[in-house]
Amino acid sequence: MDIIQVLAFALVAVVLLGILREQRPDIAVGLSAAAVACIFLLLVGRVAAVVSVIRDLASSAGVNEVYLSTVLKIVGVAYVAQFGAEVCRDAREAAIAAKVEFAGKVLILILAVPIIQAILETVVGMLS
Amino acid sequence: MNVDLIFRIAGIGIIVSVLHTVIKQAGKEEYAWLATLAGIVIVLSMVIQVINQFFETVKTMFRLY
Repeated sequence: MDIIQVLAFALVAVVLLGILREQRPDIAVGLSAAAVACIFLLLVGRVAAVVSVIRDLASSAGVNEVYLSTVLKIVGVAYVAQFGAEVCRDAREAAIAAKVEFAGKVLILILAVPIIQAILETVVGMLS
Repeated sequence: MNVDLIFRIAGIGIIVSVLHTVIKQAGKEEYAWLATLAGIVIVLSMVIQVINQFFETVKTMFRLY
């Protein structure tokens, strides 16, 4: 059972953080970032399996590869941005966390521009 | 496994905090600060490896080049 493993890992990390947070908040930030990254690395195989299934479905449905890779890139950017923002917020730097989230939103918007353009071109083509 | 890393970081944190208190009690304020700095650098170098692995995995999985 993977969930038990993740839960045990998280509980160990939380107990150690509870000890460390009082004494050394600087090292506690590093510990929590490492714990988050380790839990992600624990689950990475499952996520990769889901992504490959989605890729197979899209290719059998005849979806353009560009659209799917854009969506996956957006998911990746969102994941990394969320991770950075959580670590910043953990260190009680809410301003930097908000800016990291803002950067993630802007970069996602930039990635989505080609798809928006394609939709608008299709709509204009239908109208004219 | 990954739990090793968490225990190692927490151990370094506890050792550093004990060391800090002991050296401070001995009246060497600047050495206490130095010990804290060394502990933070060691922890950071360990955390950076995991975070690098995390970023590489996300990059390859979602093809973010």
